Amino acid sequence: MEGAHLIPFWLALAAYGAEAGFRLAGVAPSSVRKSPLFAGVLLHAAFLGLRWGLSGHAPMAGLFESLTVFSFCCAVAGLVLCRSEETAAAWKPLSILVLLPQAGAALIDKRMTPPYPALDTPWFATHVGLSFLGYGFFAAGLALGIVYLRVGGDAVYRAAGRSALYGFSAFSAGMVCGGIWAYYAWGSYWIWTPKEIWSVIVWIYFATLAHLKFIPAQDGWPGWTKRLEMGATAAGYGVVLLTFLGVSLLLRSSHSF
Amino acid sequence: MALWRFLTSLKTCAWAGLAFCVAGAVGSVVMGRYPELFADMDAQVFAGWFARKGFADPAPTLWLYGLLLATGLFAVNAACCTFERLVQIFRGTVTLRRLLPHVMHLAFLGVVLSHLVSAVYGDRIPGVAIPQGGFAPVGGTGLAMRLDRFDAVMAPEGYPIDFSATVTLFRDTTAVARGVVRTNEPLFHEGYGIYIKNFGTTPWGAPYAVFDANRDPGATAILAASLLFTAANLLYLFPSRRADA
Repeated sequence: MEGAHLIPFWLALAAYGAEAGFRLAGVAPSSVRKSPLFAGVLLHAAFLGLRWGLSGHAPMAGLFESLTVFSFCCAVAGLVLCRSEETAAAWKPLSILVLLPQAGAALIDKRMTPPYPALDTPWFATHVGLSFLGYGFFAAGLALGIVYLRVGGDAVYRAAGRSALYGFSAFSAGMVCGGIWAYYAWGSYWIWTPKEIWSVIVWIYFATLAHLKFIPAQDGWPGWTKRLEMGATAAGYGVVLLTFLGVSLLLRSSHSF
Repeated sequence: MALWRFLTSLKTCAWAGLAFCVAGAVGSVVMGRYPELFADMDAQVFAGWFARKGFADPAPTLWLYGLLLATGLFAVNAACCTFERLVQIFRGTVTLRRLLPHVMHLAFLGVVLSHLVSAVYGDRIPGVAIPQGGFAPVGGTGLAMRLDRFDAVMAPEGYPIDFSATVTLFRDTTAVARGVVRTNEPLFHEGYGIYIKNFGTTPWGAPYAVFDANRDPGATAILAASLLFTAANLLYLFPSRRADA
């Protein structure tokens, strides 16, 4: 069963690959529900559910599980935000953002993380799950930001704005859950490590972005405009990647893989 | 008036946010370069650590000055903005939608101020090691702790599946609290949380456990403010969705 549970993982990877291939070739499904990506998300959910049951903890520990959950959350965020005809163009970059972490996960060790005592709490799943959901929305923000910068469109602008708002909300809730977990598990809701600092950087970045929307364009330098806002929304994904992968892989932290 | 405009300006918010991001990014790298300076940062409350290390060796801790200044400016900006807007809102039409961002501002201020309280008035007592049946003082609290019993369940691969310690806290010779401490389940007494951090076997074969005792007087307020922030944030999403539908 331990090996068999990876079958839906591989099928989801194939579905995401097919979606990205079709999108890059300019072939779009008639609706999102009839897309390979939608099937991939269902398979992916089945895989995560199976792995949760087998490992005894939420499948969000270690690099493999983190990458595959990241991919899943990017796909879910896309399904939430990119449902209309106007926002469908975002699926081209977004399908790649869904595929890459899943493909990365496919290349690394897939053994299950043991059920360490610290993982035996609902705060683990809520903290990591909500954080990755936030990351997923920020990924959708990158895709929508790129589309807006290339072709514009009010619906794309609004969807990109929602990506930052939903991502910020999910990420904030994830930070709260993480603080509660850390307080009960390690005795402090905050510790000074690069990961924690970068998590607050992500939070401040998107909090600031949410405020910049209200600076009138004519209100002097920096002359905040929709294009600049969309550029910053897209760039936010870079901050997220630095936090998720850069810090976890390069700097010493309680969240290192 | 110029100062008030600066403090309530969205551009000030933007610059403070940018300054925080830059200072934090620099700090995350500097921390790794000076492990001897930053390694014990979590072993005591921040104010005590900063008073010793921040002033004695300012160059590698410059980023912390920037981080603190940016956080302070961010908080003052949120407070002034909310004060100004609330006056406007209560002079006009009061709606939940208009109030929610300011509830979030106030909750954010609650987190910052409560964290300040913890950073100044908190306490950290790391590394209280006790063999089973033995006693150890809990820092300067006047409490002593006895490890009554230690239990560990190990997986065949050698990693711990579960471990717990039954402890009794004494003041003078009187037992004042008794309970089981395990990961994610500390024992709280007189504002201190007792956390099990490590375990092993003494040279004479008895099990021992290592505990931290921490006091965070702002923790409850931080939790309340964080939950308020989250609730206001989630409520803010719904009207937004309807408006954009």
